[in-house]
Amino acid sequence: MGEYLIRRTLQSVVVLFLISVFTFGLIHAAPGGPTQIFLSPGLSVEAGQIKAEQLGLNDPLPQQYFRWLGNILTGDLGATFKNNIPVGDILWPTVKNSVILMSVTWILTLLIAIPWGVYNSTKEYGLSDQTASFISYVGFAMPTFWFGIILQSTISIKLDWLPLSDMYTIGKQGDIPDLLMHMVLPVSVLTLISLAGYQKYMRSSMLEVLQQDYIRTARAKGVKENKVVFRHAWRNALIPLITLIGLDLPMLVGGAALTEKVFNWPGMGSLFVDMAMAREYSVLMAITLLSAVFVVIGNLIADILYAAVDPRVQLGKGGK
Amino acid sequence: MAASSFKWKAMIASLSVMGVIAAGCGNNDNGTNTAGNTNTPATNTANEGAASPAPTAEPSGPVKGGTLTIGTFSDIVNTNPIYIADTSSGDAAYFMFSNLLDYDAGGNVVAEPWSLLEALPEISADGLTYTLKLKANAKWSDGQPVTADDIAFTFNTIKDPAAASPGISTFDKVDKIKVIDPQTAKITMKTVYAPFLNSLVTSVVPAHVMKDVPLAELQKSPYGIDPAKTVTNGPWKWTEWNQKQYLSFEKDANYWAKDVNDVNIDKIIYKIYADQNTNVQAIIKGDVDMVGAVPVTQVEAVKTKENLNVILEPGPLYEYMSFNFNKMNWGGKESPFTGEKTRQAIAYAINRQGVLDNILKGTGKALNAPFLPGTWADPGSDAVTYDYNVEKAKQLLAEDGWKDSNNDGTVDKDGFEFKFELQYNSGNSRREAVSAVIQQNLGDIGIGVTTKGIDFSSWIEQNITPGKYQAALQAWSLNSPDPDSESIFSSKYFPPNGQNSGWYKNETLDKLWVDGYSTTDQEKRKEIYKQVAQQISTNLPYVFLYQYGTPAVYNTRVKYEDAWKPVPALAYGSFFGVNKWWLEEKK
Repeated sequence: MGEYLIRRTLQSVVVLFLISVFTFGLIHAAPGGPTQIFLSPGLSVEAGQIKAEQLGLNDPLPQQYFRWLGNILTGDLGATFKNNIPVGDILWPTVKNSVILMSVTWILTLLIAIPWGVYNSTKEYGLSDQTASFISYVGFAMPTFWFGIILQSTISIKLDWLPLSDMYTIGKQGDIPDLLMHMVLPVSVLTLISLAGYQKYMRSSMLEVLQQDYIRTARAKGVKENKVVFRHAWRNALIPLITLIGLDLPMLVGGAALTEKVFNWPGMGSLFVDMAMAREYSVLMAITLLSAVFVVIGNLIADILYAAVDPRVQLGKGGK
Repeated sequence: MAASSFKWKAMIASLSVMGVIAAGCGNNDNGTNTAGNTNTPATNTANEGAASPAPTAEPSGPVKGGTLTIGTFSDIVNTNPIYIADTSSGDAAYFMFSNLLDYDAGGNVVAEPWSLLEALPEISADGLTYTLKLKANAKWSDGQPVTADDIAFTFNTIKDPAAASPGISTFDKVDKIKVIDPQTAKITMKTVYAPFLNSLVTSVVPAHVMKDVPLAELQKSPYGIDPAKTVTNGPWKWTEWNQKQYLSFEKDANYWAKDVNDVNIDKIIYKIYADQNTNVQAIIKGDVDMVGAVPVTQVEAVKTKENLNVILEPGPLYEYMSFNFNKMNWGGKESPFTGEKTRQAIAYAINRQGVLDNILKGTGKALNAPFLPGTWADPGSDAVTYDYNVEKAKQLLAEDGWKDSNNDGTVDKDGFEFKFELQYNSGNSRREAVSAVIQQNLGDIGIGVTTKGIDFSSWIEQNITPGKYQAALQAWSLNSPDPDSESIFSSKYFPPNGQNSGWYKNETLDKLWVDGYSTTDQEKRKEIYKQVAQQISTNLPYVFLYQYGTPAVYNTRVKYEDAWKPVPALAYGSFFGVNKWWLEEKK
C-alpha cells in the first residue's frame, strides 16, 4: 500500500507538470491577450509597451512559464494583471464558497440517490421507479440555469419564501441560518440535476448484481430478501458507484459555473468564467492546477475506497 | 478630451460587452426571460427618449437616511482616479470623489457648489492658459486640504507614460501644470484645444498620500483598492469591498461641502450580480433599488411592474456600420465603398426605423452625424437624413456605375462583384440581429453581405485595431458631450496610431476638426460643427445607425425633484443628482 501511494504520487507530479505546460501554452495561444483587455485602449502605444514590459508579457513563452513555475513552487500564485490583487485572495474565498455549496449538494444527492436506487432495483418499474425515471429525464434534459430561473421567479419572487440570490444577506456575513436559507434554491437545482445520474447508476448496478449466481445461491439457501439485498447485493453494487464518486470529487471545488452565476453564488466556477473572459492568466493557471490536483486526488481516493469495499482488490500488488 | 473619451469609452463599451458575453452562457436572451411576467408587448411609444414614466417627484420633501442598493454586473478594478478605465470603478469614484468641475443636466461644464473649483477656469485670451482656483475649504477625508499640488500631481502622473494611466491621451495637448499657490494651478496648453475643459470634469488624487510611491508601483499601491487606504473627498466614503459581491459607501460625516451638499442617502451598496437576468430579477423582487443598465431584451419584464420606473432615454453611445477604404482588405483593389453615391445608396437601403422599432424596442434614436441629439453641437436638420428608400438606393448605385451585368443577382463594376463581409462581436445579440437586417436590406439592392461574429477580444486585436476588415458594426460611446471627434475620423489617425480603423480620408473634414477645437468660442465652434455635420452626413465615413442606451430602472422608493432626475445621455448619468435624491421606506 505504502509503495503504491508513493508511486502514484510521483506519477501525479508528472501528470500535473504536463497539465500545467499544456494549459499554459493553450491559455497563451488564445487570441486577444491581457494587453487587449486590461490595458485600456486609451493607453498610448508607448505606455502599453512599458506596461507589457513591466508585467513580463514580452518575454519568450518558455521563460514566462518557468518564471510562473518557480513562483508556484515557492507558493506564490501571482497576482491579477488588472489590479494586482494576489491570486490567493481571490481564489481561496471562492473555493470555500464552492465547497460549501457543492459538498452539501453532493451529500444530499448521495443520501437520496443510493437508497432510492437500491429500492427501485427491487421494485422494477413500480411507481417509485417510474417517478425516478421521470425525474432522471427531466434532470438530464433541463438546463440548470433555466430551472434555477424558474425557481427564482416562483419561490423567491412570487411567493417570497426564500432569498433570490447570493450567499448571505448584506450585513449578515457568516450567519449560518441566513446561509442555509440562501442555499435551499441552488442546492435543490444542483441536487435534482445530479440525483438523476447517481440514482440510475445505483439501480442498474444493483440489478446487475441481483442477477449474479451468488445471489441466486443466497436466495436458494432461503436467506431473507432484505438480507440478500442489503448484506450481499448492495455492497457489491456500490463498487462502480465509488469510481463515479471519486471522479466527481473535483466538482466539489470546481463548482458549477452556470448555477453559481444564476444564484450569484461567489464560487469558483463563476470566477473561472470571468477570469477567462478577462484573460487573467495567473488566476486561470491557479484554478486549472487546483482542479487538476483534485482530479488526481479523486482518482486516488476512488482506488483506495475500492480496496476498502472490495477485499478482492489489492492495491500495488500483482496486476497493477 | 474627446480623443481620449472615444478610446476610453470604447473600453467601457468593451467591458459592458464582456459582461454580456460572460453572462451569455447563463442568460439566453432569446426568450428565457421568465421573470414571472406576462410579456404584453408594450405599445412602442415612439422613439422619443421621453417615453419613460414620469419622474417620481412628489410634493413631500426630501427625507434623510436609508440605504440605496444599486445592482450592477461587474466588479470594480481600481477606483484610483488615475487608473479608472471601467464603468464600475467609475461608478464607485462618482460616490466618493468630488470633481474639479461637474456637468449640469444639459451637459455643460459648470462649477457646482460641491465642485472643487471655485468657478470655471479663467482662460487666457490666446486660449492657451487655464487658471484653476480651488475652494478654500475643500478637504480630504483625512483632514488635509485639497491643494493645487494635488491637481499638479494627478495630471503630471497621468501624462507620464511610466505610470501607464489610461487617461494619458486626455493630456497629450497639455504642455505643463504649474502650482501658483496652494489654491491656484495654471495649466499651459501646447495648442488651443477647446474640449480640454471637459477633461477638468475629473477627480484628483491626494498628493500627500501618493507622492512618494514610484510611478511604476503606483497602480499596485493599495490606494483605490483598499477602502481603508483610499483617502477621498466626496459625500460618501468607501467602507467595504467584498470582492465579486458588493461595495459599500457611507455618508462622510466630515465631508467638506456638507453645508451646501448635505446628501440624504446614508449608505450606498453597490451590488455585483454575475448574471444579468439575476440582476433584473433582483430589482423586480426589490432586493436592489436601481439598475443602471437593463438589457433591452429584459425591458418588457420590468415595464409591467408598478413599483419600477424605466428610463428609456438613450445613453451617450451611438452605433454605426463602418466602411473600410484600405485596398489591403480588398485584395489590393479599390474598395467598393469608394464612391460617395455608393455609400449613400447603402444608407438609403438600410431600414433604420425597422431596426429601431423591432430590435431596439424604443431604446434608440436615429442619428445622422456623430453628435448626440440634444447637446449644443446637435446639428438637427443640418445633417442629411437617410430615410429607408430602396428605389433611391438602386438609382444611386446605378449612377455610381454598379449594375448586374452577368445577371447573378449581385451588382458589379469593372469585374468586381459587390460582396463584402460585415463583422461584429459574437455574443452581442443586438448586433447580430442588426447585421441580419443589413444583410437582407442590401441584398434587396444587389449587394451581397456575409455576416461574421468574432470573439470580442480577438476581433479588437486582429481586425479593428489594425483596420483589417471590410465592414463592421461598432459603437462609440462618448463620456464627454464635446463634439470633437478628430481622433476617429481624421486621416492623421490611421492605424496603428489611431482609431480611424476604416482608413477614411476627407481633407475638408480633416481641416474642419482642427478648426473646431482651435477656438474656445462656443458660438464659433457651433458654426464649425454644423459644417462638419453637413459634410460628414453627405460623405458618410460610416452609416450612422442610431443612438442607443441600456435602459435604467429605478424602484419608485427612489425619489428626486425634477431638476435632479437621472440624465442617461451623460456618462454616469444614471446617478446624476444622486446627491439630491432621497429614499422612501421600503414597502
